[in-house]
Amino acid sequence: MRSVPTLTARTLADVLELVHAGPVGPSHGGHEGHGDGVADDGVSGKLRAALDDAARRAGTVGGWTADDPLRLSKGPVTWLLRCPRRALAGGDAAANDDMVAGLAVDAAAKLATLAPRHPVTVEAVVGYLAASGDTTVGDHLADLGAAAGPLLADIEARVQCLVAAWPAIDPVWWPRVEEPVRARLAGGAVVVSGRLDLLLGGTPTDRPAVVVEVKGGRWHDGMRADGHLYALLVTLRDGRPPAAIVTVVADGTTQVEPVRPAVLESAADRVEQALAVAAPIAAGEPAAARPGPHCTHCPVRPACEVGRDWRPAEVDPAGGRARHVVSGP
Amino acid sequence: MTDPVGAADRLHDAVSGAIDDILAAATAPPGPVFVGWAAAGDAAACPAAYRAQGEDGWGFPGWSPTRAAGAIARAALDLHLDDQRSGAYRMPDPLEAVRAWMRGATSVGARGVAGWVGDLRAERDTATLAAAAAASSRWLAGFVRVLGWPLPAGLALLNVTRDDGLGVAARWWPRKGSPVSVGCGADARIGRMRGAGGHTLVVHRPAAGDDREVHGRASFEAAAGALVHRVAPAAVVVTAGDTGERARVEVDGDMLAAGGGMIVEVVRQRALAVDRGHDPADATPSARCRWCERRDTCLPGRDWLAGAGRWRGGLPVVGPG
Repeated sequence: MRSVPTLTARTLADVLELVHAGPVGPSHGGHEGHGDGVADDGVSGKLRAALDDAARRAGTVGGWTADDPLRLSKGPVTWLLRCPRRALAGGDAAANDDMVAGLAVDAAAKLATLAPRHPVTVEAVVGYLAASGDTTVGDHLADLGAAAGPLLADIEARVQCLVAAWPAIDPVWWPRVEEPVRARLAGGAVVVSGRLDLLLGGTPTDRPAVVVEVKGGRWHDGMRADGHLYALLVTLRDGRPPAAIVTVVADGTTQVEPVRPAVLESAADRVEQALAVAAPIAAGEPAAARPGPHCTHCPVRPACEVGRDWRPAEVDPAGGRARHVVSGP
Repeated sequence: MTDPVGAADRLHDAVSGAIDDILAAATAPPGPVFVGWAAAGDAAACPAAYRAQGEDGWGFPGWSPTRAAGAIARAALDLHLDDQRSGAYRMPDPLEAVRAWMRGATSVGARGVAGWVGDLRAERDTATLAAAAAASSRWLAGFVRVLGWPLPAGLALLNVTRDDGLGVAARWWPRKGSPVSVGCGADARIGRMRGAGGHTLVVHRPAAGDDREVHGRASFEAAAGALVHRVAPAAVVVTAGDTGERARVEVDGDMLAAGGGMIVEVVRQRALAVDRGHDPADATPSARCRWCERRDTCLPGRDWLAGAGRWRGGLPVVGPG
């Protein structure tokens, strides 16, 4: 499998240029070429076989069937691994300023892709989201009323930071925003799905796929897992791995990650681990609670003893290292 | 299917007769009844909830980016293909194909999706146009990806709206002046429609939330297609853009009868709704209860939500308290 050289691709524009650079030639600095797509090398078949096997094993414990499947996406996978009890929290999280800013930045990237000749303003972003059926941002700003000023300024700054770095994307890249992708495993007893912020190239175009994730907050390493899962799902669906995952963050960070086999294997491992955690829970065993910083905003905290007892990090005056505290008996 | 025209005729007689009987027995006229897949799926899933929708729920709710996606995508692909009739087909760039069609949709107030887009353009509603372009280019990309390029030989798009607002609606009426009409929602056919049969209907779903509906959808569209085109299809191909899967369902007499039964059931429920809206007696709980407007008052629905419905996506849900 071939992939994008790590060091030369700094931005989304770099990646698009590199993956379309064509076969290897001296003018490309000796890097591998990518113009005719990324070879599969049987990776997708192996991954599917391994995941199918894991899904069947978990399904025999969890009791899922094609009529009543286990549905996994990035959220449940993340929480099953981080805190299984949190993975069972129902309902949608209440809107807050950070979430709203993230949604706005995400929408700004989509708008910049879809209507590049029009200025991407906060007003346009709110209108686009509402037209797409998501009124979270508009409702939150309306609820804040006159107090929305600082948040609006923050959103505006983040949006402009993102838009300034956003390239004009040639339509031959087949830009698809909110691309749905889904893998049915074990005959449909397990379904893993995702909705990509932006997918470029890939089947049936002659260009390798590039998965683009947009994040509204600050870069942290945990963001990579979402892109890995999406790359895995695209590989399973299209039979060809993407060339790269590009995570564009509103703080100005652009993370370019070539899709090596290890990336896909790591994503598949996470899904397998999530299946292994989910199966006994579905069979009736209690879900373990693993306290951490996520407890602060956890919707099931009132009913979770260890979550209630968890306290944010304290700084050890002697060593200066942060440590987390679980109080109580 | 050895006699596709005869099969369509028999279906016509059976469905028309059943609809006549229902309308004759109704205590009052149910008003105009349009039967498409959405109504058939709703009525089959929970008759009580379907009846409770009322006129607002039964009627066309108006265009939105999501609801317009297929119509715009088909029109854009049709225009793209039409522009290249004389030469070799070039694969469309979905977003550009959609934009090109939208640029030509300038008929303000025209019928159908072209009129809606024309209105948006006149109002300079860039946000909604962008959302519509997103949904329809996604639809078009999935359609081409799943079916392959070049498109299958003999493929012709169905339910296409031209940029002048004129469209070819695939509709069937049991008889002249009937308040009931049936729409076939197939997006394309492969092969010519002729007496000997053999054509295949194609139904594209950009994202298939529930794979269990494939057979029901195929049955409904096969029956609706047979009624509209007066010849039964040999098969229905139901595609899913999100998985890339194509399910080919061969059409036989039982399948047509099942699809015809779904059509009749919609009319039966609409006739019943004149006197009887939501009734727990035939409420059929399912995951749909989570979004049902009656979920707080429907006892079977509440029981389901408190029991099996507490499970979501294969795992139990833990409440906050």
